[in-house]
Amino acid sequence: MRTYRRLMGFLRPYRAQLWGSMVFAWAAIGMTVVIPLLLSRGVNAIEDGDKPDLLPLALAILAAGILRLGLTVVRRLVAGKVSLGVEFDLRQLFYAHLQKLELGFFDTQQTGQLMSRATVDLQAIRFFLGYGLVFITQSLLTICLAAVMMFFLNPLLAVLGLLPAPFVVYIASRYNRVSRPAVQEVAQRVAELTAEAEENVSGIRIVKAFAREEFQLHRFQRAVGRVFDQSIYSTRLQAFFGPLIGLLPQFGIAVVLLVGGRMVIDGNLSLGDLTAFYTYLLMLAGPTRMLGVAMGMAQRAIASGNRMFEIIDREPTIQSPPDPVRLPAGGGRVELRDVTLRYAAAPGSEHEAVPALHDVSLAVDAGRTVALVGPSGSGKTSLVALIARLYDPSAGSVLVDGVDVRDVDLAKLRSEIAFVADDSFLFTASVADNIAYAHGAATREEVEAAARLAQADSFIRELPDGYDTRVGERGLTLSGGQRQRVAIARALLADPRILILDDSTSSVDATTEAAIKAGLREAMAGRTTFIIAHRLSTVSLADEIIVLDRGEVVDRGTHEELMEGCGFYREIADHGLADSVFLQRDLEQREEMARL
Amino acid sequence: MNEAQAQNPLRNIALLFGALWRTVRGADQRGRKVRWMIGLLRPYRGRVALMFAALLIETGAGLAPPFLAGRAIDAGIKTHDLSALDWTVAAFVVAAILYAAGTYAETYLVGWVGTRALQDLRERTFTHLQGMSIGFFTRNSPGVLISRMTNDVEALQQLVTNGIVTIFSSSLTLIGVVVILLALDLKLALITFLTFPLLGIASLVFRIVSAGAYRATRERIAAVTAYLQESLSGVRVVRSFGQENRHLAEMTELNEANRQANMATVYLNASYFPAVELLAAVGTAAILLYGGTQAIEGAIQVGVVVAFVGYLTTFFEPIQELSQLYTTYQQGMAALDKIFDLLDTEPDMVDAPGAIDPGTIRGEIELDDVWFSYSDERDPAAVPAGSWVLEGVDLHVPPGQTLALVGATGAGKSTFAKLVARFYDPQKGRVLVDGHDLGGVQQRALRRQLGIVPQEGFLFSGSVRENVAFGRPGASLEEIEAAIATVGATDFVAALPDGIETEVGERGVQLSAGQRQLVAFARALLAEPRILILDEATSNVDVRTEKTIEKGLERLLRGRTAIVIAHRLSTIRRAGKIVVLEHGKIAEQGTHEELIGANGVYARLYGAWEESTAA
Repeated sequence: MRTYRRLMGFLRPYRAQLWGSMVFAWAAIGMTVVIPLLLSRGVNAIEDGDKPDLLPLALAILAAGILRLGLTVVRRLVAGKVSLGVEFDLRQLFYAHLQKLELGFFDTQQTGQLMSRATVDLQAIRFFLGYGLVFITQSLLTICLAAVMMFFLNPLLAVLGLLPAPFVVYIASRYNRVSRPAVQEVAQRVAELTAEAEENVSGIRIVKAFAREEFQLHRFQRAVGRVFDQSIYSTRLQAFFGPLIGLLPQFGIAVVLLVGGRMVIDGNLSLGDLTAFYTYLLMLAGPTRMLGVAMGMAQRAIASGNRMFEIIDREPTIQSPPDPVRLPAGGGRVELRDVTLRYAAAPGSEHEAVPALHDVSLAVDAGRTVALVGPSGSGKTSLVALIARLYDPSAGSVLVDGVDVRDVDLAKLRSEIAFVADDSFLFTASVADNIAYAHGAATREEVEAAARLAQADSFIRELPDGYDTRVGERGLTLSGGQRQRVAIARALLADPRILILDDSTSSVDATTEAAIKAGLREAMAGRTTFIIAHRLSTVSLADEIIVLDRGEVVDRGTHEELMEGCGFYREIADHGLADSVFLQRDLEQREEMARL
Repeated sequence: MNEAQAQNPLRNIALLFGALWRTVRGADQRGRKVRWMIGLLRPYRGRVALMFAALLIETGAGLAPPFLAGRAIDAGIKTHDLSALDWTVAAFVVAAILYAAGTYAETYLVGWVGTRALQDLRERTFTHLQGMSIGFFTRNSPGVLISRMTNDVEALQQLVTNGIVTIFSSSLTLIGVVVILLALDLKLALITFLTFPLLGIASLVFRIVSAGAYRATRERIAAVTAYLQESLSGVRVVRSFGQENRHLAEMTELNEANRQANMATVYLNASYFPAVELLAAVGTAAILLYGGTQAIEGAIQVGVVVAFVGYLTTFFEPIQELSQLYTTYQQGMAALDKIFDLLDTEPDMVDAPGAIDPGTIRGEIELDDVWFSYSDERDPAAVPAGSWVLEGVDLHVPPGQTLALVGATGAGKSTFAKLVARFYDPQKGRVLVDGHDLGGVQQRALRRQLGIVPQEGFLFSGSVRENVAFGRPGASLEEIEAAIATVGATDFVAALPDGIETEVGERGVQLSAGQRQLVAFARALLAEPRILILDEATSNVDVRTEKTIEKGLERLLRGRTAIVIAHRLSTIRRAGKIVVLEHGKIAEQGTHEELIGANGVYARLYGAWEESTAA
């Protein structure tokens, strides 16, 4: 009920339109109910042989029809606007809230889950608020008005004729309840089938390499069979309930004909009134069924509303402080004091997560370049994420130029820090827009200058539309190395105090790499730079190396110092850091991968 | 349909009829495809016949009630004949029950036959797809191929289930109503029919115009969804650059565009549906006026007038449904075309007639002046000169030797391996295994003896055990565990939540890259391949896994021919032969020491590497 009230709250801005559309709907229903009455008068006129009465009655029916046309057109326009308005508002609200939530939230949520809230659940709510409510009031009103008319004509016959109505509503809503999970299960199994097909297509090399075509066909057939079984179950439900819902009102009509017919013969009822009953009962079939459907819609909307509110009610944990301190001018000195970071456990997991960082204290002076080295899971990425306050530490504090990052305006802080993340994510937009991402007002000259610095200018010019080529998920797919260079240009254009570089997908060849290194050297001048290094060649860019293992700083020093004094580092340097020269993947294979 | 077309409904109606006529005549191959589609139903002939019987009963029984109500008035009430009234009402109830029963049987049978036939189609498409060469999969986007088996089949299913039923039941109902009304009273019927053309045209115009509007809404909402998806996958970038407001503004724009597109459909619906209701009122008024006058003059009975009013609602529905069919028809036909395009594509690498089964091979590999290009051109003279990936490669690998391939991006290392697996045929020259030209060997007989570990250890959803067993279905649990132990993966598998039965998730996402790679090693090992191909198999592994893999790798390579495309010096050094590829040609070959001594390309690469480590 609480959810229901909150859902209704979304209609508040449209109160006037809503009432307007209700009034129009009621008036239109009035017309619909009047037509059978006029018709019954017509039948009585026929019975009485009263020819002159027919024309005015026919004209009255026509007039009622035209009036209803006008009323319904207005009603539909207004209701449609309201429904779309609610959808618009809900989507804005949801999206705006997602923009506020902290990164940690997204780590624990599956993208698919969030997507289904934004699409399926949102649709369920808008259908109910936009159409369901109108359906319910309209159907109820039609039933009531028709019932009143019938009672007015003959109470006994009205009771007999309306007897099936409650059963129809009950069965229809029950049908809705059982069929919805069944239909959802069909969708689920179709999704499994799609996954099966997808896996077979993307893994076709493995299938062929092992000559396992038949085995895969059996897997696919099993998935196909599961879809079939569930589809048939769902069809059977539909085949059973659909006709049943249609059948019940027919019994009401039969009883009215049987009893009403006798009344006419006995002279207790006019033939016109019997005709009116007959027409009313025919007319009721639609609204009773609709009422059941609308009630199903209401149930679904409430379930969806709960899922929506689950997200919307979640307070963002990382927000700008109410009165932020100004970030003092400085070169980007970074300090971590006794920092422990524990990520939120995945939902459903009982174990508390192992801390990603444990009691880390370190300071990096302004303008220095440090390389973070360590096996995967050692806390390199977590450490740099804390600087931009993508997460808040569970204990301890992070300071940039002497100020705790939690005391600074979030947008100000992040505008001083730029990332070149390991996956070099690009948005579906032109290359130029992607580079100017953090600095929308940048001129084309500035964009090109940044691209030149990142050694991206020459390959961008060779793209089909140069800087205006659309890239990203729904655009041209760039290779890993190209994406990385665009991401570097993007970071450089942001002109940050602190630059953070993750080079794990460094699939560029030796010459390009040398050029990028030269560019980076220039770009790093005057900023504090953190490099998450996976290769010796990038480590060589750093003034100093910080070695991490299992969330703790193991050692710190120059390459030579560490080779000498740190056994763990030596081990990593000898085995773990991939040797650049031989890390050269085949061009065609990379393109194949990119296409997947 | 674009806007300009949408504004000209008459032209579109002409187009629709043109399309239907062409299909009927069998022009533009539609006829062949439709006949073929009907052929899919052949195995279920019995059920199809039953379905049509049910459809006939349903339609017939559905037509009876208004007529019977009219009879109840004229034969029972007006003539004070109680038994006639009772019999008519009884017939009314029987008709209603028959209608319900017919609908039940029809819905069930149509669902069954349609789903089953389309599942057959799905499997056929799948099987056909599996017969295609690797080159075909590279040329076609996976999304497109997948949707042939999913979305397109579903669109077709809509056409089969909805389409067939609608065409038959709606036309039958319409014909039935027309016949009954004409039989009841000719003139009154003709007057009632005056609303037909109006309704028919209105419906068709509505469907055609709204098809464009609805397509626009689908496109808009797809854009909204895609945008949302992207901002979710890029959330790290959004946050780290603090660009939330910019995304909010862009979203607002898309959201607004979506609202506008939907508003167009609201306008359309608001003009169409009330207009149909008006037609019903016009019909009622006309029947009352003309029919009433006739009844008073005694030309017809009053029950006939009531029956006419009753039938008025009955024929609005089939007309609307028929006009709706146009969209389903278009979508279904488009899907059929696409599926046919796929099924009509002949597999491009089938076994040659008389291809032999080489039996268990020793694993000797020989390349004899091999020229290869990814161009579709089969004639070496016609291949564009710049597109050669391998240019006249000659190489001999004795059984049991480990061959390491080294070279820059695009030098042809992976291509080399793919030719040995016969994923492609060279344009010129021969690839031989144990002296057999691969062109004359049964592909599957060859591949059954190959083991391939690709760069991204691709796993299928299922448990670790199932994934390892993929190498040799039917292997016992002991054999699977032995394979896991040999590659040194026992510890990590044991540490998984459900041990060997742990689900690895779609593409193995539940495991780390290194773990996936270990499972892929075990899978290859269980297949007991005679020739093993490792394509940068160890590049995604961190320092901890690295050591375990080293040992597993060693065991994996023992006793079989292996082609290793590697970047780790440790692996390369150990190879029996190193081949340096440069621009599709073999630049040099030999052992590590020999090549360093030769002071050529390899020595330079090695020197550059040493330098970069020291820099």
